Amino acid sequence: MLSDREGYGIMRNLPAMVAAGRTRFGEHYEKEPEKLIEEAWLRASVEAKIERKDIEACYLSDYFLPITNKLGLEEGFLSELTELHVPMEVTRSFSSALSNACNAIVAGRQDVVLVGGIEKMTDRWDKIRDDLMLLEDPWSFYAGCTPEANHELMLRGYIKKYGLKGENLERLNTALAQVSVKNHLHATKNEYAQYQRKITLENVLNARKEARKPLGLYDFAPVSDGAATIILTSEKTAKKLTDRPVYVLGYSSATDFLTFPARDDLTHFIVTKMAMKNALKMAGVSLWDLQLAELYDQSTVMEMVSLEDMGFCEPGKAWSSIYESCQDYQGYYEIDGKQLFVNMNGGLKADGNPLGATGGAQTFEIFRQLRGEAGERQAKSDGELKHGCVLELEGFGTKGYAYILGSDKS
Amino acid sequence: MSSEPIERRVSYLGDRLRGTRCQICGKEYFELRDYCGNCGRKSFGKMLDTDLFYEEGELEVCTLVNEPTNKFTKLGSYVYGIVSFHGGKIRVPGRLTDHMVKCDEGIDFSTLEGRTVAPRFRRRYSVDKSDVIPTISLAFTFTDEYYPHQEYSVRKPGKEYDVAGIVGYGCYTSRFRIKEGSMQRAIPFIDEDAITAAVEAGKLALIHSGINSSQVGKIYVGSESNPYAVKPIASKVAQVLKLGEEEEDGVQGVDAIDTEFACKAATSVFKDAVSLVNYPKSDVHDAMVIGSDNSQSAPRDCPGGELDLFVGYGAAAFIFGKNDVIAEIEGWYSCTSDTPDFWRRDGEPYPMHGGRFTGDPAYFKHVRKAAKKLMERLGLQAGDVDYFVAHQPNAQFPVRVAKELGFKEEQYLPSLQVVRFGNTYSGASPVGLAAVLDVAEPDARILVTSYGSGAGSDAYSFVTTSHLVDKRPRQKLTVKYQAENPFLEYVDYTTYRRLKVGM
Repeated sequence: MLSDREGYGIMRNLPAMVAAGRTRFGEHYEKEPEKLIEEAWLRASVEAKIERKDIEACYLSDYFLPITNKLGLEEGFLSELTELHVPMEVTRSFSSALSNACNAIVAGRQDVVLVGGIEKMTDRWDKIRDDLMLLEDPWSFYAGCTPEANHELMLRGYIKKYGLKGENLERLNTALAQVSVKNHLHATKNEYAQYQRKITLENVLNARKEARKPLGLYDFAPVSDGAATIILTSEKTAKKLTDRPVYVLGYSSATDFLTFPARDDLTHFIVTKMAMKNALKMAGVSLWDLQLAELYDQSTVMEMVSLEDMGFCEPGKAWSSIYESCQDYQGYYEIDGKQLFVNMNGGLKADGNPLGATGGAQTFEIFRQLRGEAGERQAKSDGELKHGCVLELEGFGTKGYAYILGSDKS
Repeated sequence: MSSEPIERRVSYLGDRLRGTRCQICGKEYFELRDYCGNCGRKSFGKMLDTDLFYEEGELEVCTLVNEPTNKFTKLGSYVYGIVSFHGGKIRVPGRLTDHMVKCDEGIDFSTLEGRTVAPRFRRRYSVDKSDVIPTISLAFTFTDEYYPHQEYSVRKPGKEYDVAGIVGYGCYTSRFRIKEGSMQRAIPFIDEDAITAAVEAGKLALIHSGINSSQVGKIYVGSESNPYAVKPIASKVAQVLKLGEEEEDGVQGVDAIDTEFACKAATSVFKDAVSLVNYPKSDVHDAMVIGSDNSQSAPRDCPGGELDLFVGYGAAAFIFGKNDVIAEIEGWYSCTSDTPDFWRRDGEPYPMHGGRFTGDPAYFKHVRKAAKKLMERLGLQAGDVDYFVAHQPNAQFPVRVAKELGFKEEQYLPSLQVVRFGNTYSGASPVGLAAVLDVAEPDARILVTSYGSGAGSDAYSFVTTSHLVDKRPRQKLTVKYQAENPFLEYVDYTTYRRLKVGM
């Protein structure tokens, strides 16, 4: 490496979240994409008690609105909506927008910014899987891949790599089903979730049997519409607006090949490992200081593998922790005697997965949990909830973003 | 729309599975690269272009796709997975082809994983009828089933003959059959067509001949079922099989042309190929001729549907050159008359025919004439010929004409393949010739007489050499192997029509 710079990401100003707002995820047939972001933004602005004119910049994300809704130059729509003429930038995921926003705050370039994510997928119901697959991994698309198949191949690879058979294999499959059941259970207490209903282990297993595949309907996150926003400021400004800001203590991202089969490791996401490691380093907290994690469970496999990639579980062991924790589920995964509250909002599986807004909902959740404002679904930790993390992926692990959030600066 | 520029790029890499290998560290890529990620700048200029097209891989992991993306829906359910080459140095996505997943069948993926597979050149997915047909070789079949892996090794040229003859050949039909009465007919899998069969046959001919594909200076493809009205099959064959010298800008130094004259489109140009190789200033070392058809017919209850009882699918390719000739050409004779016994108007999907007139004033008249004239010219009697190969639209016509010409069963039966593959149109007499070459001894005389509706016949007399026997072990996919393969899959009439119409 050319640079020998130490001290990963020294921060001049600490970014702090002062408010968050979101829509319910699901199908919003009657609403234009702009309406969704307006709804989310209004909720956040009311909470923050700020006005439009206080916003110095907007960082917006949508994964593929130009394709799904033929809506290009999204900044222009946002400008019309907010009647603002400030700098606005559009990226693909909420986490990448947040990353840009954090950079701006850290550098002292801006002080109060709006970060928003938006997606409207259900309008393009019949073509959405083609769009997803083609953008996610074109060579696999040309070879006949589907958005689900890569997850299933990862699972097949995982089973092979760790030599799971017999009872262990059965437990792995059950554990993955439990991930889905658990996320649906959490979503019953989330008024914004797409699916606020319980499902059973049998539902998940039967769907797999019906599909004749390693994973079935209930293993995958749905297609959703929705929007989410947060208001990000510098620490100094945050203290004027709220007495309970949530700080972005560390953030990082990493990138991997577009073509999934071309990657070195087909059973783990290198982007998760790298982003998480660097984000923790930046935040100066250790892994088990974290009590909350919002993981990117596009499939149940992704939640399991992410637990390993982030370091919470040993490689090849997460299924066992999930299985044991879910025998008599207490609201958290118990890993080596430690509590980890995972996907309290229901995860992508039940909360919904409007790509560009998904990370917003994940961040929203940690924000609420750390402020103790999560209502019925508030994590009941033995200790004080101080730190949480968000993992968001783009594509099938082509990009990974990790955020360490804390209610406390230390 | 598949006519976008991306279509050219995807096929360019994907048809031949082009890759790059770093000559310093050995790292491989499934893409064309100028440098290696490991070695950085010092690898510049040290990257070797490779193709995986002739290699065998391993299906590492797989799953079932039963809700494909829109363009793949015509494939129904299929197995999809990751295939590794060179011990995992290169991994590519791929689907299993030639594999029909039954609706109620549970699949144990572990019985498929770890098995070796060979890449197959196929249609990629379905597009509008007005679009460019997308192709790809990210489709695979198990090498321990119908299609074995065969290495393509280029051999040093041996004995040079004074005149050109056949130096290699290959015959390809699919693994799918329909059986009605005593007749079996080959049918394409849903992603196959005349283009893919032509490429397969050409590939097998190259493997058999052992010549360097860059020596092929001309490629002729005869077909009457080219899915394009305008755009050659031959250009695809040239590109996929890397015929002629390859230029850096992706252009192949080869002349490629399609020919059409009903079922004699390929045999007609055997003599052109030979003459071109013989001409001292042509600079064409070898020339390839392929006859390929996904023989067309209207459904049974429609006008012209009588053909539906006979149509087959397949291709045969012959390489003509001067080194290590396996069959020399003694002479030829062609005749033509304007007899419209079978035709297809432009824009029509299926051909029409003249009923009983396809027999006497058409087939018999021309085949008889061409065979007799050539035998006269060469001073041959029926007894001087070891094998007689006639165009075979059905089982009766070739037998009747053979008997009329004085040939006995042992002379004409070895070539009679129509009962096993159906009428393969431009590939019909070429497949018959391939079947004879599979079994003939050296110094055997083979009389081939094709017939093309419209109408005309080409007669050729070949005499085999000892190289025929020497080269025989190089080809596993013989005509007999394909006809009697234990992995053949038989389908019903409805499935047959679906597969025939294709994607």
